[in-house]
Amino acid sequence: MEHSSGFSLPNSGHNRDAEASKMGMWLFLFTELLLFGGLFVVYMVYRLLNHEAFLLSSFELNVTMGTFNTVVLLVSSMTVAMSITAIQKGNAALSIRLLFVTLGAAVVFMVVKYFEWSAKIHHGLFPGQLVFDNLPKGEGLFFFLYFFMTGLHALHIIIGAVLIAVVIYRTRKGLITAEKYTLTENAGLYWHLVDLIWIYLFPLFYLIH
Amino acid sequence: MNTIKQNHNDQGHEEHPIVSYREHLSTLVALLLLTVMTVAISVFGSNLRTLSVATALLIASVKALVVAYYFMHLKYDKKLYTWLLLIVGVLFVSFLILTSIEFLNR
Repeated sequence: MEHSSGFSLPNSGHNRDAEASKMGMWLFLFTELLLFGGLFVVYMVYRLLNHEAFLLSSFELNVTMGTFNTVVLLVSSMTVAMSITAIQKGNAALSIRLLFVTLGAAVVFMVVKYFEWSAKIHHGLFPGQLVFDNLPKGEGLFFFLYFFMTGLHALHIIIGAVLIAVVIYRTRKGLITAEKYTLTENAGLYWHLVDLIWIYLFPLFYLIH
Repeated sequence: MNTIKQNHNDQGHEEHPIVSYREHLSTLVALLLLTVMTVAISVFGSNLRTLSVATALLIASVKALVVAYYFMHLKYDKKLYTWLLLIVGVLFVSFLILTSIEFLNR
């Protein structure tokens, strides 16, 4: 708007709005919830239709690895929450350290996921592999949903980790401070959502025998 | 000086109380205990088959609410966020329940 007719507001020279940013993030998170929600509905319906097959297939998954990853994500959720406390108190160094712990947890989660998936792929259970193609309908649906839903979740882990890396970079540059930490908060909200989805994925795929 | 301070209040940050490290740690301990509970029920209580599906989902929902309330700061945010989440949640859960009732009654 170059032709603004001398209209000006007496403000402090910046147009940040932390509340609006947070509202935007929450609205985005709702769309994420509905995305995964749709997949959970598909899971529920196929499970009702193939009860025994889903029960049998769930024994193929490694409960120890699943539990370990659950703990990793819960701890990383706490460190993100704590990093917000740290930046609010003006302790940027501690905030960065806590974010690095979160980043480390994301890496650990993905490494465990890699071993889990490799074992399944080794057994030929990935969609398109020989064993998968010859599975009965119910078992096939279970493994298809397993790979799609945990895969989409893992993609969210990667995006969340990139976001946290950006927060670390900007905090280190002094762009995120005790007065201005909206990005840390929003990255935190995203990371908690990723944790929240895993809270449901874990029992639905690994535990319900 | 006073107006600058006022401006900062308008940004919405100053009204947020700082959550203590201790509270975050307690939240984590609660979440870990709930995780131990679900795994234990699933591994050692497989004879309670039908019960375990409902319990697992119930415990997961308690965990999700704890994460949203404490870690996601709903406790300290404007109530509007809680209401929005409740609307989305109730809508989704009622669809899940209606779908399964519809299925089970055929």
